[in-house]
Amino acid sequence: MSVRALPSEVPARPVPAAVQAVADYFYQIWRRRYFWWSLVKIDLRTRYRGTYLGLGWSLLNPILMTMVMCLVFAKLFHQPLATYAPFVLSGLAFWNYLTGIVMDGCHSFRRGEAYIRQHPAPLAIYPLKASLVVGIHFLMALVVLLGTVWLARGTVPWHALWLLIPALGLFAVLGWTTALVMGVVNVWFEDTAQLSQVVLRALFYVTPVFYDGEMLHKHGLGWVVDWNPLAACLDVLRAPVLHGQPAPLSAYGFLAAVALAMIALAALLLWKVERKLIFYL
Amino acid sequence: MALIQLEKASVEFSTRRFKNVGLKDYLLKGLFRSRVNPRIVVRALQDITLTLRDGECLGVIGHNGAGKSTLLKLIAGVYPPTQGRCIIRGKVAALFDLTLGFERDASGWENIRYRAYLLGETPQTLQGKLETIAEFSELGEYLEMPVRYYSSGMIVRLGFSIATAIEPEILVVDEILAAGDASFREKARRRMQEMIQQARIAVLASHDLKSLEGFCSRILWLEKGRMQMLGPASEVIDAYCQHYGTPRPRSQAA
Repeated sequence: MSVRALPSEVPARPVPAAVQAVADYFYQIWRRRYFWWSLVKIDLRTRYRGTYLGLGWSLLNPILMTMVMCLVFAKLFHQPLATYAPFVLSGLAFWNYLTGIVMDGCHSFRRGEAYIRQHPAPLAIYPLKASLVVGIHFLMALVVLLGTVWLARGTVPWHALWLLIPALGLFAVLGWTTALVMGVVNVWFEDTAQLSQVVLRALFYVTPVFYDGEMLHKHGLGWVVDWNPLAACLDVLRAPVLHGQPAPLSAYGFLAAVALAMIALAALLLWKVERKLIFYL
Repeated sequence: MALIQLEKASVEFSTRRFKNVGLKDYLLKGLFRSRVNPRIVVRALQDITLTLRDGECLGVIGHNGAGKSTLLKLIAGVYPPTQGRCIIRGKVAALFDLTLGFERDASGWENIRYRAYLLGETPQTLQGKLETIAEFSELGEYLEMPVRYYSSGMIVRLGFSIATAIEPEILVVDEILAAGDASFREKARRRMQEMIQQARIAVLASHDLKSLEGFCSRILWLEKGRMQMLGPASEVIDAYCQHYGTPRPRSQAA
């Protein structure tokens, strides 16, 4: 049963009704789980169909990049390979997740256009599908990272790996909301994907992906990493995997605050465009 | 009980002359100014008032651009009413352009699954229907192939077979009574008829006045987004043909 009316006709809702609306929205997403999950599976299966490496193809990029960077920067930064290789691989694994989220997020609604035009379903399922595909690639890169840590150190800090749970939880929330925001913006401005590529390129160099953030502190540029949520993402990923310890609490707190802000932004956008996005596709 | 109730429902597309522009052009060429980039309002549907209850089958006629598809999409919940009210009670299945929304790199089987999921099936309910869908489509081993290599006729067959395998309470069909080649078309016609009889409410848009008269109890004639006439099928078709001076098709026993 569904009753549709103009927003202006809906009387100001008390809080419980809003909670009800949010719960209902998530229920609608859950109800269609077989749909978006099969889209995820089809995407993963067809993307690498016919390639010899299959899904492993997606891992080639971070591994090759790591080898190249090790060749140059391990020397330049006077780092032993055993430390530097896992360090840079963890950075690149996260960076691939970020670019995947932004790029696939940008195209999520347009890729779903044929479905949006035929069936009413919560719009959030299209960025959800995009972020799940990218997230699964990231999990595979994480396995390769653990393998690299084991190769380089002879041991993996198993005892600290449970700390990846809050990190991955934050990544998932940030990924879904970011993909959604990028998708909506890209419907209105279709060069968003190109512009974000430029922005991401710039961000790559102010984020400690291939250099240690401490180096910036020494040169009085500490604020660049201190106020960079991407640097905090790298902290919560690297601390357990590379050092076997939790990241500073401030990093988790900072990311949680950013995640809340992104949830608020995504919810606001959905509230504004859920019904009328179709007119702009 | 299924119910469709529209009260003075309108759908307006508000667009701009330059739509889907880049942020760069938007800022540099000043497309945010209404003088440079005027707003264009298209009134696709205006003041539609209509109530359909259990057991009714409504036909929708009108020229291209009269608002037939928009009305069906409003009923299917794809478009929101921009004015007025639209109350829909019951599980809706809408058959629009059957060739849209295939994952072209996935096989026929994969496409059957996710399209059925989109229509509200679950793996449990789909289990028994997979074979029926495959059989009805007569595509046989082609179902193992990516849909990319299908001919347009094969795609229509597949889409029709999936879409008609579910049992909706409200059935919305946009001009697909003719699907595929002659033998399939006859089969599709019979299946369509069964579905219309099983559904509590059916809304069909078509240019095929003869079929509509056979299926429908009432017909809505749309003209430029407005209701020109709503009434018993034969009366509306009489008036429609008279208005346009076209020969009246003989009614056909359904």
